[in-house]
Amino acid sequence: MSRSRVDTVLAFAVLLLAALPLGVSVFVLGFALGDSPCILCWGQRTGMALIALVGLFILRYGPRPRYVGTGVLLGAYGLYMAARHSSLHLARDIGQGFSAELAGAHTYTWSLLVYWVCVVTMGVLLLLLRDGEATRVPRELTPLGRLATLVFLVTIAATVVQALAGSGPPPFVGPADPVRFSFDPRRWAWTMEEWKGAPISLRGRWAISKPSLDGIDPDPATGPLGGLPSLAIESDRTLAVSLKGRPDDLAYDGTSGRFLVTTDAHGVFVLDGSLSRVLRYTVIDPAFSVDMGSGLPGAAWIDSTTIAALAENKSFVVLRESDRADVEKNFRFFLESFDAFEELSRGRFATVRARLMYVSSLAYDPGRDSFWTVAVPNETQRQLVVSRFDRRDMTLSEEFVPALAPESGLALAGEKRSLAEYHVTGLTFADGHLWALSAAHSTLLAIDPLRQEVTAAWAVPGLTRPTGLAARGADLVLVGQGGQVWTLDRPTP
Amino acid sequence: MELVNFILIFCAGWLVWRRPERERTAFALLVASALLMALVFFVGSRGSVLPGLNY
Repeated sequence: MSRSRVDTVLAFAVLLLAALPLGVSVFVLGFALGDSPCILCWGQRTGMALIALVGLFILRYGPRPRYVGTGVLLGAYGLYMAARHSSLHLARDIGQGFSAELAGAHTYTWSLLVYWVCVVTMGVLLLLLRDGEATRVPRELTPLGRLATLVFLVTIAATVVQALAGSGPPPFVGPADPVRFSFDPRRWAWTMEEWKGAPISLRGRWAISKPSLDGIDPDPATGPLGGLPSLAIESDRTLAVSLKGRPDDLAYDGTSGRFLVTTDAHGVFVLDGSLSRVLRYTVIDPAFSVDMGSGLPGAAWIDSTTIAALAENKSFVVLRESDRADVEKNFRFFLESFDAFEELSRGRFATVRARLMYVSSLAYDPGRDSFWTVAVPNETQRQLVVSRFDRRDMTLSEEFVPALAPESGLALAGEKRSLAEYHVTGLTFADGHLWALSAAHSTLLAIDPLRQEVTAAWAVPGLTRPTGLAARGADLVLVGQGGQVWTLDRPTP
Repeated sequence: MELVNFILIFCAGWLVWRRPERERTAFALLVASALLMALVFFVGSRGSVLPGLNY
């Protein structure tokens, strides 16, 4: 394509960029509708203006490498800004967002498309240029080039007015939550808010540490609930079977009289009722399709042949025992023992209150055909969140932060103490209650899910890093990270 | 700060149009504006440099 045609296309692109995103933003959204940009919106708009300016440079001086390079860098940074800004709101519910909506999407989201089109346009124009064009000397602007420049300058001049009203002169900077635009100086709200010191973080509030039992205080006497009765350990032994990985959770099926043990190496083991023999096992491939986290701290029987295992990131897998499993098909699901199970489903539980919290337990409630989890606290989120997921659609169906039952006699040991100090690693459903075992302060909690209350609690001295809890008849069977197996008499909740 | 930025952009555009012989000055204004934009955006997003979503 000839240079003059490329210039025409480029001038038209600059005109479009100046008139549509930049012009509409200042004249329609700003002056007419009162919309004001936030500090991140200002960055995105500035990037678009600079790309248009680079286009003017190329129209005037030719496609010199430093102009083309600047354009590409601005396009790349613009894409980053658009992704970074949009991410603040992308996960909100339908229609929700920040400030004005335009044609069904918010402005910061449109900028992602605008920057993408800019980068693509630059690439296409480069493809269309002939060799040697970059060495040309400056030349006069075409009429279309002059029009693009004029529209650009008028738009930028208007934006200067909007920036004066919305952001103010230095050192004031664009606000996080801008007040609507006004030509009346009495309504201008300049702020220094964004200059206030804040830590530089790579991932922000999503930087949550994976749950760990390192450093957890096992002493019941230092727990948030004072004066708890103690439960004595009836038996204390060590698992006699060899597992792949350390025990991560435990479940018991009363019908078949068998145990299920999951491990931190994604092992799923069906054991006999005495926990002395492996009846079948497999190892989940944690990287197939759904990220199954760094272990399986949740295990539950759904029926006598169907089991569920849960990763700390609330990703789950449902397996069914089978003696005729398709070995070839199972290669994708498992790392070992391809003929013992069929994989029925793999997916992710999504929570609301516990969205930024991991879990270390799973229980199945046959009455409601639901799964239960209890979130574990982390460095930024301190609450005990109990979540129920209906098995029919594996979707969050109930979520609560339990209170202490008034008639239970339970009381916090101080004003600043909280049930959030517990770190629940074992969970099972029995007697209409959720039994939650906390590795922190070695405490057993009985939670009534109908009343959403903790109705009883007991100290269990002598536990070391407990990771699993199962109800077997009148007993509670506990497993520890080191392979210990403890048995308790199940108290009345 | 955004006010300064758009004044720089306006000046650069004006030079390109009306004073094309001041190319180096115009380009310096463009670069200064781009650096200021990156700084201000970083100030506004330093709490999470990566997009604030699940990773």
